Amino acid sequence: MPNADTSASPIVSIVNVSKEYTLGETVVPALRDINLSVAPSEFISIAGPSGSGKTTLLNLIGCVDTATTGQVIIAGQDTRNLSERQLTELRLHTIGFIFQSFNLVPVLSVFENVEFPLLLQRKLGSAERKQRVMDLLTKVGLADRAKHRPSELSGGQRQRVAIARALVTRPKIVLADEPTANLDSKTGENIIDLMKEMNQIEKTTFIFSTHDAKVMAHANSIIRMADGKIVEDAKRSTKSRDQEIRA
Amino acid sequence: MSELFLLIQIAIRNLFASFLNFVIGGIILMGTLLFVVGGSLLSSVDSAMSKSITGSIAGHVQVYSDKSKEELSLFSNWTMPDIAAVPDFSKIKPALLSVDNVKTVVPMGVEGANMTYGNTLDQTLDKLRKAVNARLAGDRSPALNERIVSLKDHVRRIVTVIQEDYKKLTVMASTQSIDPQELRAIEKAASAEFWNSFDADALAHLEFMENKIAPLLPDADLIFFSYVGTDLDSFRGSFDRMEIVDGQMVPPGGRGLLLSKYVYENQFKLKTAHRLDKIYEALHDEGKTIASDPDLQLMVKQNRSQTREILLQLDPLSSQRTTKTLQGFLKSSENDLATLLTTFFDTNDANFIERHGFFYKEIAPLIELYRIRPGDTMPINAFTKSGYIQSVNVKVYGTFQFKGLEKSGLAGGMSLMDLMTFRDLYGYVTPERMAESNQLKKNTGVKFVERDRAEAELFGGSSVVGTGGEKKIDDQAEMGGVKYSATARALMNRPYSRDEIDQGVVLSAAVILKDPSKMEQTMREIEAVSKKNGLGLRVVSWQKAAGQLGQFVFIAKAVLYFAVFIIFVVALVIINNAVMMATLQRVREIGTMRALGAQKRFVLKLVLIETLLLGLSFGAVGTLLGSILVKWMGHNGIPAGSEFLYFFFSGPRLYVDLGIGSLIGAFISICLVTSISALYPAIIATRVSPVQAMHAED
Repeated sequence: MPNADTSASPIVSIVNVSKEYTLGETVVPALRDINLSVAPSEFISIAGPSGSGKTTLLNLIGCVDTATTGQVIIAGQDTRNLSERQLTELRLHTIGFIFQSFNLVPVLSVFENVEFPLLLQRKLGSAERKQRVMDLLTKVGLADRAKHRPSELSGGQRQRVAIARALVTRPKIVLADEPTANLDSKTGENIIDLMKEMNQIEKTTFIFSTHDAKVMAHANSIIRMADGKIVEDAKRSTKSRDQEIRA
Repeated sequence: MSELFLLIQIAIRNLFASFLNFVIGGIILMGTLLFVVGGSLLSSVDSAMSKSITGSIAGHVQVYSDKSKEELSLFSNWTMPDIAAVPDFSKIKPALLSVDNVKTVVPMGVEGANMTYGNTLDQTLDKLRKAVNARLAGDRSPALNERIVSLKDHVRRIVTVIQEDYKKLTVMASTQSIDPQELRAIEKAASAEFWNSFDADALAHLEFMENKIAPLLPDADLIFFSYVGTDLDSFRGSFDRMEIVDGQMVPPGGRGLLLSKYVYENQFKLKTAHRLDKIYEALHDEGKTIASDPDLQLMVKQNRSQTREILLQLDPLSSQRTTKTLQGFLKSSENDLATLLTTFFDTNDANFIERHGFFYKEIAPLIELYRIRPGDTMPINAFTKSGYIQSVNVKVYGTFQFKGLEKSGLAGGMSLMDLMTFRDLYGYVTPERMAESNQLKKNTGVKFVERDRAEAELFGGSSVVGTGGEKKIDDQAEMGGVKYSATARALMNRPYSRDEIDQGVVLSAAVILKDPSKMEQTMREIEAVSKKNGLGLRVVSWQKAAGQLGQFVFIAKAVLYFAVFIIFVVALVIINNAVMMATLQRVREIGTMRALGAQKRFVLKLVLIETLLLGLSFGAVGTLLGSILVKWMGHNGIPAGSEFLYFFFSGPRLYVDLGIGSLIGAFISICLVTSISALYPAIIATRVSPVQAMHAED
């Protein structure tokens, strides 16, 4: 059984990356000389106390922020060489986002929220869009809520809509920054289960940050961070393989 | 396409999502409401005033000589601009009529003149003289005798009033300031011997009264008036708003004066009666009260103190009758008529209507309400071009008004005169008349007459014009002998042909168009025709010809548009701020969209479309409300509160029309204001980083 990170070229490759923020006159280092490689269809958790650089790392992978030094290669593209426009295109077609506070567009229905990235892509016709959205809503168990507004849903339901939205463009990577922080632990676990299920069905790479040990336990590898550095890159392939066998 | 659809969908759903949107919407609503109502109001005033001006005197276009030192200003009632004359109207008329859109051309000369009329004593003496002449001619009827006695009594009464005045004067002023000769004359006129000997030599006594006593009565009047000298028949045909109120139209081709009804009421009517009319109107039509209106109170006060004119006009018999009826009416035992009248005119809101009625029923029939009656011939004086004071006797045929502008002093300030009399007063003689007058001079032995002085030679004195020829002016005989006088009179009494009217001097010409909307183009065509034929004409629109009045609408428009501009600038700033705040409230939403892959352009469109749609929907409501308001105003009309407004409203009420222009203007303004005010917030929104979507806030 080949290991995930050796069988194919990495989907995310971070080489010698540092990130500094300037706050007034002081320079705050957020990431210090990080190296990371993520293989396709991995399900990785980034753990660490707040301020350890989790979010910064996710922002760099998500192409919403740029590194001060070093190389960030996403799906084979070096983000240093991309324009703002191209970065946006890359996000649209390659990356899905799941936010801590769900971030659904309040005036759009569940269906429309999920459909939103497809409309930006302008690749599919109306019928195909509908089919894809409804498929995903069925998978996350919200098909009957398609016409509801986000405000009519519970937190867990909203995050499931967000998962569907993140997956609707069939991205290579889905990033989730503390996706369970605003949910109770039971619902949070369900969300992680759902993410994992999607990871297995769609073969999408999931990278999520969390500081909840229970949630971390679901990941098949955990990257621990502290003070802007990766302190542990624990591969938990055994467990991951066990789960695959069970599934 | 689907993206635009999505944006519009988001915009529609966000319409009422934020309180800020109601602020923005409210401003836009009020702005468009103001724009639609103000714009419609102004364009209605514009068109109403254009009707007032084009329909009363100006026509659509005025042409006048290019050599004029000043600009034509038809409605400047006091100072006439220095306009060079167009020597021969018949030369420019066919050229003007050759322009396609020109319907008619009316020759004009706007000038000022004055008119004097005798005082009450003069008028009474005139009546007495006629009666005496009739008796001298052999009429021995008892009715005539009675009339002479009554008139004599009236004259004696007036003398008594004068005597009273002088007594008061000697108390008030030092005695040196009064001419002792005057005092002696009054004493003589008041004496019993004078009146006992009257019948023995009536004419001599009359002459004494006319020469020595009548000038002492200070109620003679000199009235300045503005008039349009014009081809009256053509004028009436072209300005169909003109209607005769009293008397009749000047006969075709004839000489004569038509007084403006407004001027007639204001200047020629007995002041007391005119004030009663005005108070009545204010109470009855305008719902004012004497108790609350200082102007009306002043008029009541003036009526109380100015009873003398009525006293002078009442002959002894009428005085007695009036005293009696007033005693009954006022339930008073007062015997002095002056005191009774003062009490009578002490009107208030409770008794006014009744007293107004009593005045017209009981007092008015006994007195002359107007100084001039249609049919009277009046001497009109004016300074001619060459500096002479020219005097022409003109028959007043009647009064006229412009329909819908009855109350307007501006449109009603002008009287109408025939063109021939105008030319005499103005001091121009047509070449034909020049030849005629030269012929006359030859016949009467005068060898050489300079053209400039021709009118002075011909009409230097008073000459009789019109049919009111019974007035005798003796110096006519001295001027040129009997033959001259008779010929001159015949010359002026006959009706004039159209050619004679056309062939001569005018100051300007009013051009009435078939299609007024093509005015600009027609003006250019007229200019071209003038240039081609070397007519030397200046062509101006009615707005310009109306002088300051025409500019009023322009200024009002400028003021309104400036106000709208200021409101827009303020709205722009407020909307800008509000959109900015609304955008900042949505940073996370915008950041999310950017993170999900929306380009900056998408965000820009999002903010712009949302604001535009907000503007359009609230603007539509504002336009709708404005239109309803305008329709309502159009249905009920806005009352013209003052006589001044009559002119601008072209009638007693302004019926506002909903201008398509103001609707389109409102639409364009909304689009402009919202896009401009949303542009900066939209640009700021594009700078929202997708990172900001990550910040958890709740």
